[in-house]
Amino acid sequence: MPSSSDSAWGTSSEQDPDHTGWPASAFAGIIPGMTTAPVFDVFLYSALAALAAAVGVLPRALGLRPGPTTYGWSNAVAAGLMFGVAYVLMTLGLEGGLLAGGVGAILGVIVVRGTHAVTGSGELDLMNPTGAHSALGRRAVVSDLLHGAHEGLAIAVAMTLSLPLGITVAAALAVHNVPEAMILTRVLDAGGVSRRRILPLVVASNVAQPLLAVTGFVALRELPAAIPVVTGFAVATLLYLVLEELLPESYRQAGHTSIAVVTALAMGVVVLLAGVS
Amino acid sequence: MNDVTLVFLYALATAVATGLGALPFLFVRDLSDRVVALSNAVAAGLMLGASFGLVSEGTVHGRVETVIGAVLGVLFILGTQRILGGQDEEELVFEAATGESARKMLLMMIVMTVHSFSEGVAVGVSFGGGMTLATVITVAIAIHNVPEGVAITAVLRPQGVSVLRCAGWSVFSSLPQPLMAVPAFLFVEAFRPALPYGLGFAAGAMVFMVLVELLPDAFEQGRRSSVATVTTLSVVAMVLFQQWL
Repeated sequence: MPSSSDSAWGTSSEQDPDHTGWPASAFAGIIPGMTTAPVFDVFLYSALAALAAAVGVLPRALGLRPGPTTYGWSNAVAAGLMFGVAYVLMTLGLEGGLLAGGVGAILGVIVVRGTHAVTGSGELDLMNPTGAHSALGRRAVVSDLLHGAHEGLAIAVAMTLSLPLGITVAAALAVHNVPEAMILTRVLDAGGVSRRRILPLVVASNVAQPLLAVTGFVALRELPAAIPVVTGFAVATLLYLVLEELLPESYRQAGHTSIAVVTALAMGVVVLLAGVS
Repeated sequence: MNDVTLVFLYALATAVATGLGALPFLFVRDLSDRVVALSNAVAAGLMLGASFGLVSEGTVHGRVETVIGAVLGVLFILGTQRILGGQDEEELVFEAATGESARKMLLMMIVMTVHSFSEGVAVGVSFGGGMTLATVITVAIAIHNVPEGVAITAVLRPQGVSVLRCAGWSVFSSLPQPLMAVPAFLFVEAFRPALPYGLGFAAGAMVFMVLVELLPDAFEQGRRSSVATVTTLSVVAMVLFQQWL
C-alpha cells in the first residue's frame, strides 16, 4: 500500500522557495554570498563520488591484504547502498509516468546485458579469476567504466528531482565506489600493473560517472518529461548490476547470513539518509 | 450490516484474493532447476518491490520508526532461522517435505503471514478514514495481494506442493489481514502510532528473507544473468503496480 505521492521525500519550501527542486546554491548558507550554477553542483558532487574510489587503493598501497570476507562485506555494503538508491529513485522519479518507467526499465536491462555481451564484462568473477590476469584487468576496467556510466545517470535523475536527493545518491555511490576500487586494485595488482599506474587507472575507471551525471542532468532539465523513462532505466541498471555482480560474489566470499545482514543495514542507512537530506 | 462486519468481510476478500496468485502456476509444468531458480527470482523481485512499497508508506508515518521496525524484522527472521535450524531434520515437516526444503517453506510462510499482520493494521487504519472509500481500498489491496500469492507459490510449488494447496497456503498467509483490520478500525488512534513500526517490520523481514534464502538459492540453481534479469524486472513491475493502485 504505497503512497508515493504523499511520501516524505523532496525539498522543503525553506530550501526551495521557487519550488524548482533546487536551492539558490549548494553553497548558499555555507559561504555567504557565494552562488554556483546547478550544473556545477552536479559536477562537483558526482566528481567527488568518483574520486572516492581513490580510497579503495589505500589498503593495497599500505601493503594490506584484505581477506575474502572483507571483500564480501564491502560488496554487500555497496549492494545495499545501490538497492537503497534504487528505492529512493523509484519512490519519486516514476510519478506521472509509470508506463514510461516500465519501458525505461526494460531498456535498461537490454542495454546493460548488451554492453556486457559486447565487452565480455558480464558474469565476471574478480575474486576467483580464470585466464590471464592482464586480460582480466582490462575487462575489469571496462566493467567499472560501464558501471560508472549507469551510476552517473542515477545521480543525474536524483539531482534533477532535488539537490538534497542528488547529494544523498552521490554520497551512497561514493561509498559504493570504495569497495569497487578495492577489487579493481587487487585485479590490476595481480595483473602486474605498476603501483604508480593503479591509482590513476582506478580513478579514471570512474570518469563516466561525472560525465553522465552532468550530461544527463542538462538533458533532463531541458526535457523533464523524460524523467520517468530515465528513472526506470537507471533503476533497472543499478538493480541488475547488484544482482548479477555484487551479490553473487559476496555470497561466495562471506556466506549468506552475514551478507544479508550487511546489505539490509546499508539499505536502512540510505532510507535514513534520505530523511536527513 | 454494521461497519465492523463490513470491514471484516472486505479484509477477508482481500485475503482470498491472495490465492489467485497460485493460478499462473497451473500453466507451469516443467520444474527443472532453471525454472526453480527463476521462480525464486520472481518471488525475490516481488517481495523486494512490496518491501519498497511498505517502507515508502511507513516513512510517511515516521522514518526512524520504520527503520527501527525493519531492524526488528531482520532480528525476527534471524531468530526464527535459529529456532528452525535447531530442529531435528526428521521433525521438521511441511507438506510432504522434510529437512532443508521444509525449513525454507516454513520460513517463507512465517514471513508472509507475519507481514500480513501489519498490512491488516494498515487496512483497518485506512478504513478508519471513512467507509465511503472502503470499496476502493479493498479492491486495491486485493489486487496488491495477488503478486504476494505468486511469490508464495513460486517457493512452494517447486517443492512439489499442488497448485490448489499453494492457493490455500497463500490465502492462509493473508488471514491476519481481516483479524487485524477490525481492531485497527475500532481503535484507529491506538493503532496508528504502531503503523510505521509494523510496516518497517514487515519490510525488514521480507527483504531479509529475499537476501538470505531466495537469492542465494536462485544463484545456486540458475545463471546469474537470468536471475538478475527476472528479479530486476519483477521489482520494477511490483513497484509500478503498487504505484498504479
